[in-house]
Amino acid sequence: MKFAAILLVILNAALLVPAAAPYLPFIVIASLFIAIVVLALAIATAPLPEPPTPVAEAVKPAPLPEKPKSDAKAEVVMLMGVLQEKGRFVDFLMEDIAPYSDADVGSVARSVHQGCKAALNEYFKIEAISPEGEGVTITVPAGYAADEFRLVGNLSGEAPFSGTVVHKGWRTTSVKLPRVLNADKDRLPVIAPAQIEVK
Amino acid sequence: MSYQFSLGIDLGTSNSAIAVADFETGEVSIVEITQILAPNQIGEMPTLASALYIPNPQEFPDADVAVPWKSDDGIIGHFAREHGTLVPDRLVTSAKSWLSNPHVDPRKAILPWASEIPDEKLSPFECSRRYLAHLKEGFLHAGAAQGRSWDLDHGQIVLTVPASFDEVARNLTYEAAEAAGLKNVVLLEEPQAAFYAWTAQAGKDWRTQVHPGDIVLVCDVGGGTADFSLIAVTGKDGNLALDRISVGEHLLLGGDNMDLALAYTLRTRLEDDGKSLDDWQFLSLIHASRAAKVSLFLDPTLDQVAVTVPSRGSGLFAGTLATRLERATLEQVVLDGFLEMTQVTDVPVETGGTALQEFGLPYASDPVISKHLARFLTRSLKNVKASEALTALVSGRPGAIEGAYLKPSAVLFNGGVFKAEPVRQRVLDLLRSWNDGEAVRALEGDEPDLAVAKGAAFYGKNRATGQGLRIKAGTARSYYIGLESSMPAVPGFKPPVKALCVVPQGMEEGSDCLIEGREFGLVTGKPASFRFFSSEIRSGDVPGQILPNAERELEETSRIEVNLPVLEGFAEGQVIPVRIDSVVTETGNLELWMKHTASDQKWKVEFQVRTE
Repeated sequence: MKFAAILLVILNAALLVPAAAPYLPFIVIASLFIAIVVLALAIATAPLPEPPTPVAEAVKPAPLPEKPKSDAKAEVVMLMGVLQEKGRFVDFLMEDIAPYSDADVGSVARSVHQGCKAALNEYFKIEAISPEGEGVTITVPAGYAADEFRLVGNLSGEAPFSGTVVHKGWRTTSVKLPRVLNADKDRLPVIAPAQIEVK
Repeated sequence: MSYQFSLGIDLGTSNSAIAVADFETGEVSIVEITQILAPNQIGEMPTLASALYIPNPQEFPDADVAVPWKSDDGIIGHFAREHGTLVPDRLVTSAKSWLSNPHVDPRKAILPWASEIPDEKLSPFECSRRYLAHLKEGFLHAGAAQGRSWDLDHGQIVLTVPASFDEVARNLTYEAAEAAGLKNVVLLEEPQAAFYAWTAQAGKDWRTQVHPGDIVLVCDVGGGTADFSLIAVTGKDGNLALDRISVGEHLLLGGDNMDLALAYTLRTRLEDDGKSLDDWQFLSLIHASRAAKVSLFLDPTLDQVAVTVPSRGSGLFAGTLATRLERATLEQVVLDGFLEMTQVTDVPVETGGTALQEFGLPYASDPVISKHLARFLTRSLKNVKASEALTALVSGRPGAIEGAYLKPSAVLFNGGVFKAEPVRQRVLDLLRSWNDGEAVRALEGDEPDLAVAKGAAFYGKNRATGQGLRIKAGTARSYYIGLESSMPAVPGFKPPVKALCVVPQGMEEGSDCLIEGREFGLVTGKPASFRFFSSEIRSGDVPGQILPNAERELEETSRIEVNLPVLEGFAEGQVIPVRIDSVVTETGNLELWMKHTASDQKWKVEFQVRTE
C-alpha cells in the first residue's frame, strides 16, 4: 500500500513535468488505477461499517466465524489477483510502456479499463459523495463528516460552508470481496500463477 | 406437516439459482451461493454456474478448492467453468441437456463427453445430483452465516424443470433431488415459475394487467435453451383463472449461441486482417463480444464499441488484438440472425443430407428462434383445437384460433437474453407482423435471470399455505403405450405400432385414471417391456383411445418395464389379466400401475431410460 501510494505521488508529480506531456492521458489513467488500488487497500485493510441491509436485499452469507484465517496481507494480494485476472492490471503496470505509440497504449488501456471496471462493479458499490457534479456550488452543512469533504481555499467562520465542487469524491457503500481460503501458509498467495500449456 | 419456508431451485442448463420464501415475514429473496472463485478464493455469487470440473489429482491441494461443507463432488460453479474451458477434457457442462437426451443412458458415466481422462467419469444424473447437493448446502450455509438455521424437514422444495421435459427427464430430476438429500420436493415448469414471479413482483396490480380472454405467451430464452408456454386467462365468478394450455418442444438454442455467433463474426474479421487467435484468445473474444453486445444494447446512443483481446503472455502490447463491434453488425448477427422477421408459416429447417453426423447433444439445427416460435404457435393451435375444453378457454379472445396459429395477446419475457430491450422489441415486432399489425403487449417482468427461482419459491408458498394464485396445468402431454398390431406378415411392410392412450393431457396432480374395458395379458415371472409414447399436441385424446400409427403421430419417450412375480395360485409363466391404472402423484410425478383384474394386487411399471 505504501508502495502504491508512493507510485501515485510519483505519477502525479510526472504530470507537472513538461516532457511527459505526450504520455499525459496514460499517466492520468495509471494514477487513477493506483488510486483505486489505494482506495481498495484502505477498504480491505480497514473495513467500513456496512450500512443496515435493505429489506429486500439478497441473503449474503458472511464468512463463517470458525474460520478466522483472513490475513489482511493475503486479502490485498488477492485483490491484486482479481484485478489482474479480470483486467490484466499487474501486466499493464509492470510493462514498460515507453516504446509504444499512443494508439497502442490506448487500445490496451481500453481492455484494462473494461476488465478492472467490471471487477470494481462486481465487488464494490461505488458512488460519488457529491453527486451534484463538479463546478456546481453546494453547501456543506454543519456537522458534516470530516472524511467525506475536504474543504480548501478561503476557510473561515463556522459551518455551513458554501463552495464549488472541485472533485466530486468517491465512497463505497458495500465491499463484497472473495475470501482467502488458506491464509495461514508461511508465504503470501500468488497474484497470478504462471500458465503452462501441457501438450 | 407445518411448513415454515419454501425453497425455489432453478436448476439451469448453464446457471442455477435459489430463492427462499420465509412464511413468517412473507419475503421472497435470492440466496447467493458460496462457491470457489479461484484456487484459494471463495465467495458468493447470485448464480451458480452449472459446471463441474474434475481436477487432476495433483492440480490443486484439496484445501485450496474446499467448500465450507463436506463434499467430494469436484469443483462446481464459477471457477469450474472459467478454468474448465481451458481444460475441456475435465469439464462437465450442460448436464441437464444430457439428462433429457433420448440417445444416451442418463445413469451411465459418460461425462465429460468425448473426453479421454483416466479419472472416473460421471453420469448426467450424478452431475445433477451434485449441483443440487451444492445448492442445498449453499442454502443451509447462507442461513447459518446469518444465524438462521433452516430445517429442511419444514421446507417446501420447488424444483423447476423445462416445460419441454418429458416424464422420464422429470422423474430423473426428481430422483436426483432426493439423492441430493432434498425432501418435500415438487416440480414446476420454468415458464410457469416465471409467470408466478411476475405476479409476485406486480403485486395486487397483476390482476389489472391481464384480463379474461388474454392468452399470455411465456417466452423463456436462457443461455442454452429456449422454452415456450401459453397461459390462458379466464374469468370465473369475478375471479381470474389461469390455465397453462400448451408447452413447446425441447430446444437447445439460447443466448450462448448469440455470443458465439458474434465472436465468430469478429474472428473472421481479425483473420481477414492477417491476425490469428488461439483457443484461449477466442474464449476472451467470446467474453469481450458479450460485453460489447451488452453495452450496445444498453445504450442506444452508441454506434460502436471497441473489442480488445489481450495477448496470452504477460506482455500486453505485443499481442493485444483490437477490433470493434458496430451496431449494424450486432443487429445483423443477433436480431436478423436469430430473430429474423420471418412469416408465421416459415418453420425450422430440419437437418438432412449429411448421412454422418457427429454424435452429441441434439442442438437445434436451425438457429432462427422466430421459426421455432412460429412452429410452437402453430402446434399450439392444433393442440387447442383438438379439445373442446381448451377451445373454450381461449374463446374469450376473438379470432385467437382463426388462421394458421394460436394468437397470443401478451408476452412475458424471461431469461438473460431478454435483458436487452432491442431483443424484446424484436419479438414484439415479429408477433405484431404475424398478427396483421395489431400489437401484442409485453408484461413487464424483472430480473429475467433470477425470476424462475423467485417464482418457484413464491409458488411453494402458495402451495404450502393453500392460499394465493395457482396456475391450472396438469400433465403437459398425453402418454401412450405401444401395441404390436396383429396383421398377416407381408414382405417389405412393417405393420404399424398402435398406441393406447393411458394418460390424457392435463391430468391433474393427485388424480388417477383406470382404463376400463381393456385387459392385458401379462406373463408372470419375467420382465415384460413396452414402448412408451407421448405428444404435446393431442389434447383431445381420452384414456383407452387407440391411435392406429404411433410412429407417425407421436414421439417415442422411452421403454417401460414391468416384472410380475409369480402369483400365488397361478402357475409360473401363466398369463394373468391386468388393467392399467395411471396416477399423477401429489408431487406431480407420473406413475403407471398394472392392476390384477380379479384382486387388489398391483405392480408399478418402471420407466426405463432411453437408449437406442
